[in-house]
Amino acid sequence: MGELGKIHQLVIPFLGHEIRLNLEVILMTWIVFVLLILFGIATSRKKQILPRPMQVIGELFVEQFYTLTEDALDKKMAEKYGPLVCALFMFLVLSNWLGIIPHLEEPTKDLNTPLSLGLMGFAIAHYAGIKTKGFKAYAKEYCEPMFFMMPLNVIGELAKIVSIAFRLFGNIMGGSIIILVVSYLTYSVILPPFLNAFFGLFVGTIQAFVFTMLTIVYISVQIK
Amino acid sequence: MNIDASTFVHLAAYTGGGIAMGLGAIGAAIGEGYTAGEANSAVSRNPEISGDIFKNMLVGQAVAESASIFALVIAILLLFLDLTGAVYLKGAALLGAGMCMGLGAIGSGVGSGFPGGQACLGISRQPAVATQLTTNMLIGSAVCQTPAIFSMVVALMLMFMDFSNMPLYPTWAALVGAGLSTGLAAIGSGYGGGMAAGASCEGIARQPRSVGNVTTTMLVGQAVAQTPAIFGLLVSFILMFKAFPESQALSASMALLSAGLCMGFGGIGPGIGNGMAAEGAVRWVARNTAHAGELMRIMLVGQAVSQSTAIYAMVVSLVLIFVL
Repeated sequence: MGELGKIHQLVIPFLGHEIRLNLEVILMTWIVFVLLILFGIATSRKKQILPRPMQVIGELFVEQFYTLTEDALDKKMAEKYGPLVCALFMFLVLSNWLGIIPHLEEPTKDLNTPLSLGLMGFAIAHYAGIKTKGFKAYAKEYCEPMFFMMPLNVIGELAKIVSIAFRLFGNIMGGSIIILVVSYLTYSVILPPFLNAFFGLFVGTIQAFVFTMLTIVYISVQIK
Repeated sequence: MNIDASTFVHLAAYTGGGIAMGLGAIGAAIGEGYTAGEANSAVSRNPEISGDIFKNMLVGQAVAESASIFALVIAILLLFLDLTGAVYLKGAALLGAGMCMGLGAIGSGVGSGFPGGQACLGISRQPAVATQLTTNMLIGSAVCQTPAIFSMVVALMLMFMDFSNMPLYPTWAALVGAGLSTGLAAIGSGYGGGMAAGASCEGIARQPRSVGNVTTTMLVGQAVAQTPAIFGLLVSFILMFKAFPESQALSASMALLSAGLCMGFGGIGPGIGNGMAAEGAVRWVARNTAHAGELMRIMLVGQAVSQSTAIYAMVVSLVLIFVL
């Protein structure tokens, strides 16, 4: 049980500071990248008018997320942000599923991954807001209902990053801790596969979807 | 009265176990009762399919039970934990773990009863979509459990992490506060998430074609309703992982304990309020699918405003931790 809350780090001294790299997380993220690229090649190689099974999967998937984006944003915006949404969901869902394979770990279990993706969504949403509304209208929204509410509005916006990142992190890490403890108590007999299916496949998919939807919705709140 | 460390830690473990299971029994029982009550009313409306309704009721109740099962697991672990050589601080951690899990199971237990009950009613109204209703109920109740899972994570970390080289004062208060913060904040979020899930089952029965939009709105609404529980989790993590300098002064301990209490109590109301906003949005998305995007946006803005009180609570707890 000692491994609870421990992370393997590579510490590089750099100009008096220390750069800390979480080696396992980087490795797992690269595994997800490779799998995604393989999926991309498999679905788009030999495109035909009569699609092969892999092509159908890819088309269905892209179509589904494109429609979702179009519902929340409008058609023009959806063309711009659709690829981002698809990529985000694919990365997250594969990351969350990775933990069900023995010896592999979810990159999303490390707070750095969801936090950086949350920051990315935040930056994109605010960029989209400034671009569509203009800086003046954008800045004016912070002074509602009164100008002295501005600091709290800013904290409220920043709290969105915290909540979106910790929601994913808490669910995935929570699942993996529960699996670890139950496996330890039952000597890995009977229960862990079911828990893996629930926390890895089911909760992982739902949380990846929620993260993606929230990113889209944050953009749509900013541009309207 | 002087108690030695071993006695104190055992005392705390047993008290924690009792609190965990005692409080943890509240929520799920209420939720399951609600499901059963609605199932009765569903059967009386449409007695021909009473078999389907009964099956759905049992499935819904089984999912609603999981919050209590989490509490049972933690309670049993607390009773049979190996505590040889534990220090006084471990006692505080175990007491915090018990309170965290017990309180955290209340909201999720009550909340996950709502989708079960509404799904039963929906099946009686619209037997053709029974499968979709059951699926939606399962997704909704599973997401409702998230606050209870957060509480379980904090409880497990409090039980199994090694705090032995921390100073007893004021870390004891930080550990008890960490338990209270997530435990209390989870109450509102679990309940609120259940309200949204219940409305989605009702909506699907009313307008089966709206299922995609309704489920999406429900998931987003529930996710935002969980934000207070996430703030509670954040405060708990800070309280658990930050090293506090040793201080015999009572004020330092009390500041950390109040930080947990502040975030915990501050999270209850916003969780329920966000759930109400999500419930309204989901209900009306089902009736008016064409404007789903707009409804979701207004729901989010409303939730953000109702959430501001949770943010005030978080700001005050962070000030209590870092400034005072």
